[in-house]
Amino acid sequence: MFLSVGVRFEANVEALNMVETAGNYTKHRRVPYLVEEDRKLKTIYVPAISGESLAHAYQWSLVKEALAMNLPVCEDCAKGEFFKSMNKAHLKKKINPIPDDSKKIEAAIIKSCIIEDVGGFLYAEKPPVRRSSAFQVSYALPIKSMALFATAEPQLHARHAQMDAKGKKGNVSEQMIYYVETGTALYGFTFNLDLDAIGVSSLGAGPIIPEEEIKARREASLKALFRMLSSAQFGAKLSRFFPVGGITELTVVVTEHPFVVTSPIYDSYVERTKKRLEVIKEAFGEDYFFDSTNEVPEETLRKAIEYLKEKGYI
Amino acid sequence: MDFPEVVNMLRFFVRMRNFGYVDRMGNALTYEPVEMAILEALRAFRSIHESAKTDENDRKYIEKNGKKIYLPRIPDEEEIRTFLNAVRKDMSVAKRVATLALAFPSKGGEE
Ligand SMILES: [Zn+2]
Repeated sequence: MFLSVGVRFEANVEALNMVETAGNYTKHRRVPYLVEEDRKLKTIYVPAISGESLAHAYQWSLVKEALAMNLPVCEDCAKGEFFKSMNKAHLKKKINPIPDDSKKIEAAIIKSCIIEDVGGFLYAEKPPVRRSSAFQVSYALPIKSMALFATAEPQLHARHAQMDAKGKKGNVSEQMIYYVETGTALYGFTFNLDLDAIGVSSLGAGPIIPEEEIKARREASLKALFRMLSSAQFGAKLSRFFPVGGITELTVVVTEHPFVVTSPIYDSYVERTKKRLEVIKEAFGEDYFFDSTNEVPEETLRKAIEYLKEKGYI
Repeated sequence: MDFPEVVNMLRFFVRMRNFGYVDRMGNALTYEPVEMAILEALRAFRSIHESAKTDENDRKYIEKNGKKIYLPRIPDEEEIRTFLNAVRKDMSVAKRVATLALAFPSKGGEE
């Protein structure tokens, strides 16, 4: 089973993805974006949030769900340090001595950590072992029709600098001023989760953990997405730049084989997704789950989880 | 046409292991990305200038891994204007400037 989610969220005055600090200036991530204006294509620069940033939030959310469900999370991942068994030092914490068969290494990692099972890993030693992530996430980008209104604006902040007896410390003045760029846009992003990949070897060795635990891991993966979206705990600088806004639209599709919702950056994405699903149903005779809302996104996610429960998938 | 101050500024970022601006300029296919990269580079560079230390000879520097890296001057308006006009006419100008910034300076370098 394959789950694909299209999310639209409004975020005003956010600093969810900062890329660089030069001197006293902290920059928001920005990407070139192609828009049509007066029948001409042009490039504009819009605030963006990287897939990596969203993926980190998702995996952190998965850590918490997994621990709550008593599923295995390795020592590194439990701290939110996603080293992903990258070298001998980290892999040794899972299996010691380290075998020289890549299938055995993969099995050891998957058994001991759901984060690396779902989020993939790369053991970059001899023999190198790599596992693709079972989830995929796009950049969050301003939706097309409103991209021209998206903006990034530097905000001035002041922080007190410590003073010595004479009231001066070197050439540091009483207040340090700094700028943080804030972004504002109606963003859209896509999240996919390949439920069939969880707990299963990517080297062709079949299921690595018992069926019951695979089901539990699938459930944890879904709950983690649910929790991440409904808590809006993604991106940086939330303590002072918690974005004003929230999810405005959510579309969830569950299919037997990989199917990705039309990107929510397009205004017609809900209708297009529906039409594409109909065609696939006719062509392959495959069942699907579809739901979309601009009211309570949690409700849509709950229904998708129920659908998977009915199918005996979790 | 040479743009020594732009090249020196970009070279400074290269020495700081910040290849972003150079890469964006060197790989740009259209004018806008170059303009954006220059704007951002200038903004960052100005900010670094403001927080830089000054040595006995009144030269500005910053410290990286215990080594002093001296700051070139902020490119002047005229050079930026000429540079942007030149890029608008011929994209290869941006590529050439980025390439020069990556090369070892021929004289008076501060390595
Ligand atoms: Zn782990």
